[in-house]
Amino acid sequence: METVDLARLQFALTAGAHFLFVALTLGLATLVAVIQTWATLTRSPVHMRMTRFWGQLYIINYAMGIVTGLVMEFQLGLSWSGLTEFAGNVFGSSLAIETIVAFFIESTFLGLWIFGWNKLNRWAHLALIWVVTLTAYASAFWILISNGFLQNPVGYQLKDGVLRLTDFGALVANPAALVAFFHIGGGALVVGGFLMAGVSAYHLAKRTAEQDFFRKSLRIGIAVALPATLFTATFGGIGFDTLQPTKLAAWSGSARQMAEAQAEMVAAHGPGDYLPSLEWVRTSGIIMMSLFALLFFVSGASFLLMLIRPVVRGFRPWHWLLTALIPVPFVTMIAGWIFREMGRQPWAVYGLLKTADAMSPVSYGQIRFSLTAFVTVFAVLIVVNYWLLARTARKGPGEVALGDDRPAAETPAPALTF
Amino acid sequence: MEILILAFFAIGYLVLAGADIGVGMVLPYLGRTPGERREAIAAIAPFFLGNEVWLVATAGVLAGLFPALEGSLLSGNYSLVVALLLSWVIRDMGLWLRGRLPGVRWQGFWDGAVVAGSWGLALSWGSLLSDVLLGIHGLLALLPALLVAALFATHGLSFAALRLRGALRERAAVLSGDTGEGRTYALTATALVAIGVLAGFRLPLAPGTSGALLVPVILTMIPLLVASQAWVWWTFRHRVTGPSYL
Repeated sequence: METVDLARLQFALTAGAHFLFVALTLGLATLVAVIQTWATLTRSPVHMRMTRFWGQLYIINYAMGIVTGLVMEFQLGLSWSGLTEFAGNVFGSSLAIETIVAFFIESTFLGLWIFGWNKLNRWAHLALIWVVTLTAYASAFWILISNGFLQNPVGYQLKDGVLRLTDFGALVANPAALVAFFHIGGGALVVGGFLMAGVSAYHLAKRTAEQDFFRKSLRIGIAVALPATLFTATFGGIGFDTLQPTKLAAWSGSARQMAEAQAEMVAAHGPGDYLPSLEWVRTSGIIMMSLFALLFFVSGASFLLMLIRPVVRGFRPWHWLLTALIPVPFVTMIAGWIFREMGRQPWAVYGLLKTADAMSPVSYGQIRFSLTAFVTVFAVLIVVNYWLLARTARKGPGEVALGDDRPAAETPAPALTF
Repeated sequence: MEILILAFFAIGYLVLAGADIGVGMVLPYLGRTPGERREAIAAIAPFFLGNEVWLVATAGVLAGLFPALEGSLLSGNYSLVVALLLSWVIRDMGLWLRGRLPGVRWQGFWDGAVVAGSWGLALSWGSLLSDVLLGIHGLLALLPALLVAALFATHGLSFAALRLRGALRERAAVLSGDTGEGRTYALTATALVAIGVLAGFRLPLAPGTSGALLVPVILTMIPLLVASQAWVWWTFRHRVTGPSYL
């Protein structure tokens, strides 16, 4: 592998890992905020317990989202300084806005939500989770404005070999960004809804003590997942109108379209190979769409099944199916990202800067070192965190630390001697 | 104005996060038993999320207002920045994971991650700053780096002395003597501000071309950001009375 391939692999793995956690963060935050609203309005104890249980899963997951996100943010300057120098004045603006307008507040208020449980007024506490949720979406929005610019550059002027921002409105109204934002926002709710339904189904199948708790949760999960699946697919469909000609040609697989797209690019940019990898684009696209079909049929059927109470209580094959499907929305989303990003190649900024020219002047050895280190650390952390998520989900609401009035001492405190 | 904005977030990070990094560094000294360590961590628990976000914002400001510097500073110090990030990740996960399971070994392991990560962070910052400030890199940079790390640790101790009670507070106040905890904290904070300002003078701070758009946005946001953080500080203004969620 060349140095640039290693740098790409490093970014792809970081971004992929980040997105696994971020998607669930967005989806679960929304669900938790809605449930906490109900709990606050009605003072329903079961909904308060639901807030704590699903909130606990949300936080375990959130921590991984932060640490992968940090590495991703810094990686732009670390290994892609060619990109930041060339396009930083444009796509860096939305990154800056993301950190200041969204993430700063999200993170500060999340800390207050976690540690201020039982300390703050309950309406203030409710307001916090809503701010955290809305700023999470704002974060996703501004990141996708940056990503959308790389896919479909707008609102800029090329001067002295560097881009400058000339039209902020065009940058924000970029269809390649907006359509993706709605597509991904919907996808996050699919992830969250299926997780909630799947975990609940596990407890219903196992006939654990919390039948009422998980019957309610299962219904919420499915009721969100079905419309979210349709919403996501709608914007995915609209998204095809915003695809680059080369990506579209590779997706179609038609030799004529590919030759046309290639010829157009050669005419505009000089000789070179301008088509993305056919296999990556087609395989990831097909995986995304077939898994969507699966999720759509299962959530549709589940929506009908959940209306019948004895079925919700006792139809075990359906329970096991829902539990087994928990990972599927994650795979679908990652496939979607591969489709989007591999299809942009060989460009870092479509039509303006090639990926090979976007790299920092760093050596093969440096990237190999960082890639090895990040992969090792993240592999361990991802395994540990998924194991903890599964364990916490399996144990059920009885042992949730979040919002506990008196955190248990881990060991009996020895008598103090002076 | 671009430079002042960058300074605001970078120095804010050094002062605020410097304290929780420092507490992580001296954790084995402050907490001799698992219970004491958990209480020592409760001193920083409500703050560390809101503290580290200052560095995320600093990186965002670099990306938007100083894109050329962002590239050269980070890629020019590639291995150091990678070490900094790894330490940051390991430390954060130590904080998040330590309380997820009962058991002395599990918690001991992640407490170790907190300590190692905090030292790694402090030393990476020290090496980065000695590169920027003195132009020293390589093994020799470890000397000024150790000095900066010691400053972080002292800053952490003074913060812990302000937040903890009883034996833990006494241990944390070991360097304060008769000066008082608040004054020690002010002193270490001033030293960190001074280092940040000096580093700023040594960096090639030539803003990019997006200031006209971003500066008003950021200036409008700053009072809101400070208010949101002040809410956290106010909520947790009292001394720690027991273990927290972490």
